[in-house]
Amino acid sequence: MPDTETAAVEKPKWWHRWFRTPSELREMGVVGINMRNARFLLPNNPRRLYELVDNKLRTKALAEEFGMTVAETYCVVRNPHDANRIDKLLDGREAFVIKPTRGSGGKGIMVIYKREGKNFVKPSGTEVTPGDLRNHVSNILAGLFSLGGKRDYALVEYRVQPATLLTDMSFQGAPDVRVVMLHGYPVMAMLRASTKESDGRSNLHQGAVGIGIDIATGMSVRAIHHGKPITHHPDLGICLIGVQIPDWDTILHMAVTCQEMTGLGYLGVDIMIDESMGPLMIEVNARPGLAIQMANGIGLMRRLVPVVEQHAKNPTADLETKIAFSKKHFRAKLPEPRD
Amino acid sequence: MSAQSKLLTAVAALVAIGGGLAAYKSQKLGVPFWEDQRVDEWLVEAKISFVATGRKVTAKLSLPAEAAGEKTGQESGSLGYGYHIKENGDKLTAVWSSPEEREDAQALYYRIRFKGGLESGSEEIPAIGKPETPEVPDLPGSLGVAANSIVNRALSTSGDPDSIFVTLFRQINRENASQEYLLVKRHYEKMSLSDPNIAMGIDLLGMAGIPARLSYGVRLDEENSGQRPYALLEYYDGASWKVRDPLEPTKVPDGREVYVWHRGGGPLLDLDGGENSRVTFTVVKDRIPLARLTDLRESPFLISTILALPASERAVFRYIVLIPLGAFIVVLMRNIIGIPTLGTFMPVLLALALLEIKPVQGIIMFSILVGAGLWFRFLLSRMNLLVVPRVAACVVIVTLLMMLMGVISYQLGMSVGIKITLFPMIIIAWTLERMSLIWEEEGKHSAIVQVSGSVFVAVCAYYFMKVSQIQYWAFYFPEMLLLLLAFILLIGRYTGYRISELIRFKSFTNA
Repeated sequence: MPDTETAAVEKPKWWHRWFRTPSELREMGVVGINMRNARFLLPNNPRRLYELVDNKLRTKALAEEFGMTVAETYCVVRNPHDANRIDKLLDGREAFVIKPTRGSGGKGIMVIYKREGKNFVKPSGTEVTPGDLRNHVSNILAGLFSLGGKRDYALVEYRVQPATLLTDMSFQGAPDVRVVMLHGYPVMAMLRASTKESDGRSNLHQGAVGIGIDIATGMSVRAIHHGKPITHHPDLGICLIGVQIPDWDTILHMAVTCQEMTGLGYLGVDIMIDESMGPLMIEVNARPGLAIQMANGIGLMRRLVPVVEQHAKNPTADLETKIAFSKKHFRAKLPEPRD
Repeated sequence: MSAQSKLLTAVAALVAIGGGLAAYKSQKLGVPFWEDQRVDEWLVEAKISFVATGRKVTAKLSLPAEAAGEKTGQESGSLGYGYHIKENGDKLTAVWSSPEEREDAQALYYRIRFKGGLESGSEEIPAIGKPETPEVPDLPGSLGVAANSIVNRALSTSGDPDSIFVTLFRQINRENASQEYLLVKRHYEKMSLSDPNIAMGIDLLGMAGIPARLSYGVRLDEENSGQRPYALLEYYDGASWKVRDPLEPTKVPDGREVYVWHRGGGPLLDLDGGENSRVTFTVVKDRIPLARLTDLRESPFLISTILALPASERAVFRYIVLIPLGAFIVVLMRNIIGIPTLGTFMPVLLALALLEIKPVQGIIMFSILVGAGLWFRFLLSRMNLLVVPRVAACVVIVTLLMMLMGVISYQLGMSVGIKITLFPMIIIAWTLERMSLIWEEEGKHSAIVQVSGSVFVAVCAYYFMKVSQIQYWAFYFPEMLLLLLAFILLIGRYTGYRISELIRFKSFTNA
C-alpha cells in the first residue's frame, strides 16, 4: 500500500490535528489563495477575458465554433413574457436543466428529470409546479443568482445523463470532471460527486466528494470528503478508488481546446460525460478553487512550476505536445483497479 | 519595469513622502508626535448667521474676558467685513461692519483658543461700586401675591444671597413645585421667552433685593457641534458677581464642562441691518499648541490645511480619517488571516456604526435586527416576490423594527434606543439580503460563518480605530496614511498562506 509508505516517511506531529505550519505546506507544494491569485490568476487571466467565461451563452457559442460537443440549448429566456410561458416553451421536453447564464458556483441551477402530469420532478423526487418554474425563471431574470446581481437570462438545456459507472458514484446530481490547466497544460483533474449533504451540488465545501484523477490514465486515485481522505462514498458505500473515467483522451483534448478558445492562462474546465453523447463541455471557470490539490494529495506548486518552465522554453507548443508533456510528467501512483 | 519593481518604487516613495512629512512636522514644526506629549487646548468657534436686509450691517458680539489676554489666540473670519475689537472697561466686543449694503444669508466667525483646565471664566468679579437695586417687576393681581409669598418665604428661611439663590432655583427646577411656583412659572412660560425659568429667577431674585442678570456659556462638548448658547445666571452676592448654572444651583461651573462666554448683562449679539440672527458655537479639542499650529498652517503642505478649516468642518474629518484604518484591518483579516466576511467593506461601515453606539449594545442591536429581519425575509420568500420589491420590503421591515426597538428601549428607560436611528439602515437591509441568499444557496452554516466573520472583523476594526494614539496620528499626521497605504500595497503582493489555510489544509497528506 502506497499510503503506509508515505506515512512512514512523514512522522505525524501533535499539531497536525489542528494545523500545518507554513513551511510544511510549502514543502508539500500546497498553493494558497493569495499565491493562486498573485502568481497565476492575475498575470495570466486578463480581466477582459472573464466575460467570455462568465456568460454561459458566449462560452457555449464559442465552444461550438471550436467543434466541441455541448449540451443542446432548448431555449433562452430573455424577457418576463417568455418567463411566464416557460412551461409552454418546454412542451414535449421530458427532462432539462435551467441555469442562469451568469451564475457561479452552481447557484440557481434547477434540474428536472421527468414530468408527472402537469408538474415536474427534480432528481430528489421533489415536485415542481409550473408556477414554481416560472418563479425560478423570473428570479434568474432579476439577477438573483448572477454575479453582482446584474440582470440575467435563463438558459434551458439538455439534461446530461451520465454513464451508470458515474451515477453509481454520486448521490443524486450528476458528477462532473474538472481539469485545471496552466498555459494549456493539464495539471490536475478531479471528479466531483454529490452527497446527501451537498444536496445534488458538486461544491466540495458544501460536502461533495472530491475524487482525484490521474492525468496520464484517467483513473481515480484518491478521494476526500470535507478535506479528509476516504475510500468509499459516505452515503452510497461504493468504492471510489481505481475507477477508470471513460473517454479520458477526449476529455483532455476538450479541456485544452477550451484554453485555446478562451485565451485564459489559468483555468478550470468542467466536463460531464453523457451516456450516449460522450464528454460535454459544461462550463469554464476562470478562478478554479484549491480543493483539487487535496483530492489528489499533491500540492499544485509541484505541477505548476514545471509547466511554467516548459512554457518559457517552448511557448508555441501545440495541443498534442502539451497533453503528451502532462501525461509524461504528471503521472500518479496508480491503485489496484476496482473490480 | 516589472510589476515587482513598480510596486517597490511606489512603496518606497510613499514611505519617503509620508515619513518625511511626519518627521518634518514633528521635528521642525514641533507638533508632538506622541499623544501623551500633547497640550490640550480648546478651540471655540462662534458663528453668527443672519439674513441681511439690504442695508449696511453692523454686528456686535460680546466676547469672553480671555479675549483680552495675550496667551489666547483669536481670529475672526468674514469676507468683506471690517472687523475690530472694542474695549469698554473690561467688557470686550467684537464689531463687524460692512462698508456697503448687504443682502441674503451671511455668516461671521469668531474663534478663540484657550488652555483647558479648571478655570471656566466664572470666577467672582468684584463689583465696582454697589450695583443699582434692581427694578421690581409688576406682576398683576394674584401673581404678585404668589411671587411675594415665595420671596418672603425664601428670605425668612435663608439669609444670604447664595442660599436664597439656591432655594429659589431648587424650587423652580422641581417638577412638582408648590402651587405658587407653578402659577408664576406658567405666567413666564406664556411670555414665550427663550429661558422662562431664568427670567422668572431673575425677577424673583430682584424682588428679594439681589441684582441678577442673564449670562451665556458654551458647553465644552465636541459631539454637539453647532450648539446654541447655554443660558447661565449671574447674581450679586453683596461683594461680587457670581455665575451659576440654574440647573445645578449649588455647583460652581466646572471649567472642564462649561466655558462662560458672556457676562455682565447686556445682549450677547447686537445686530443692525439683519434679521433671523442666531449665534451657534462649535467646540473642538486641539492637541497642538497654538504657536505650532500657526507654523503648520503657513507651511506649504496642503494636507495640513485640514487644521485651518472652520471647526465645524474639521469635526467631520474626525470620522473620515478613521475609514482607511478600518479598511486596513479588513485587508489584514481577509488576506493574512483569512476570515470570511460578508462583502468586502461592510465591516468598516459596521465599525463606524459601533463608534457611534457602544460596541456591546451595538452588536446586540445588530443581532436582534438581523435575526428578526431574517425571519421576516423568509416569510417574504414564501410569497415568491421579485428581487427589487423584496429588498424594498426588507428596508421597510427594518425601519419598523428600528422604530419598535427605539420605543421599547425608551419605555424600559434605556437611552440607547434613541441612538438606534444612527445605525446605518442600509447596512442592515443589505446584510439581510446577502445573508438570506447565502443561507438559501450555501446553507445556514456559511451564512452564519460569514456574518460572524464580519462582526468579528468590525469589532477588531472598532478597537483599532478606538486607540487614541492612532486617532491622534490619523488626525494630526494624515500623511501617515501614506505609510498605511504602502503597507496595504505590500499586503496586496503577499503570496504566503493565510492563517485559515494552515487549518484548512491540516489533513493534507502527500499521496
